[in-house]
Amino acid sequence: MIITIPNDIKSEFEGYDFIITWINKHQNVNNSEITFDFEKVTFLEANLCALIGTIFEILESKNNKISLKNINTAIETILRKNAFLVPFGFERIDDNYDTSLTYMKFTPNDDSGFYNYIQNELLSKPQFPSHSKKLGKEITRNIFEIYENARTHGKCDYIHTCGQFFPRKVDKPLHFTIVDKGVNIKQNVSDYLNKEIGGADAIEWAMIKGNTTKTGVTSGGLGLSVIFEFIKLNRGKIQIISSDGFYEFKNGNVVKAKLNSIFEGTIVNIKFNLNDSNHYVLIQEVEDFDNIF
Amino acid sequence: MKHIVIKDVINSELAVSTENGMKIFEIVDSCLQRKEKVELDFAGITIMITAFLNAAIGSLYSKKEYTGEFLNEYLKLENVEMDDRILFRDVIQRAKEYFADKESFEKNSNDALYGND
Repeated sequence: MIITIPNDIKSEFEGYDFIITWINKHQNVNNSEITFDFEKVTFLEANLCALIGTIFEILESKNNKISLKNINTAIETILRKNAFLVPFGFERIDDNYDTSLTYMKFTPNDDSGFYNYIQNELLSKPQFPSHSKKLGKEITRNIFEIYENARTHGKCDYIHTCGQFFPRKVDKPLHFTIVDKGVNIKQNVSDYLNKEIGGADAIEWAMIKGNTTKTGVTSGGLGLSVIFEFIKLNRGKIQIISSDGFYEFKNGNVVKAKLNSIFEGTIVNIKFNLNDSNHYVLIQEVEDFDNIF
Repeated sequence: MKHIVIKDVINSELAVSTENGMKIFEIVDSCLQRKEKVELDFAGITIMITAFLNAAIGSLYSKKEYTGEFLNEYLKLENVEMDDRILFRDVIQRAKEYFADKESFEKNSNDALYGND
């Protein structure tokens, strides 16, 4: 079976919709040799390797064998820099401009591996604009909030991450993508509310400060609301895709849409605006900490 | 007085998982059950997230006997960095609301199912 990949799939609604529709169409394929043909691809947002890697994980779990062909030199270079092609027999090459974030698969309990990844791949890059210690800590913490949400809510085997930095664009965006397959947010929220709710509405519900599907003695919630405040101040963007829901937060506005197919997992894509000279004072004075309870 | 160094209990400088938060909760809870005062020491914790705190601290409000007044007297938080303090406030506020709501939610559900006579 040969699959031709179209050019310039973007981390936007259409790009996600295309990939998710594709995986649904092929979800029953097993014990097959699947070749992905890159002939038409002259540009690829490399952060999407996190999603492509998840798709490969799904296909390989059904005993399919994956191969790639006709990758042009520019794309091959990017995908060797971020190590995505290494399992396919390509040698990794140095990323002299340090614009790639390595494609990685983490097991859900690998806290220190993920922490080191954020420090080494993201915050310590020479190209990364100077930032305060506080900003670096905030970014790390916010990413961990998302990571924790993926691993406890999604019950996944692997968390796939990748990212790409575009230093030539005015706002110097860095796209960072985290994908897991597992329980989707729509299912979680519908079960919790005991009524069927749309995919995008379910994501929005989960974003409201304090809402959580966790039950029992842990009150949960809050995790994802923290990053929303930060992204708004940073003028970045956050997209969350789960089940048939597409949810985007950008410039303080929310856009919701319904995908044509269902993704059994969660995609989180964050755009950090690294051309940001603001000084972040995200803390508020907490009065009387000695009597906080 | 029990002095609990979080870093030693979770064997990490990263307070980033619900599971580790639950470990802390269980130790704190067992002390408070026997009215032993607790010093919860956050020294050396580099990253802390709300999911951890929900489990470690927020869960205390699931027990009715732990009132705010009681916790202020019996549980002291030490070496919490200034910029992490806001997380505690949010988590505590949320836990108070959640467990108050939970009670009324369960009561309403029971009333709906079984009547309230």
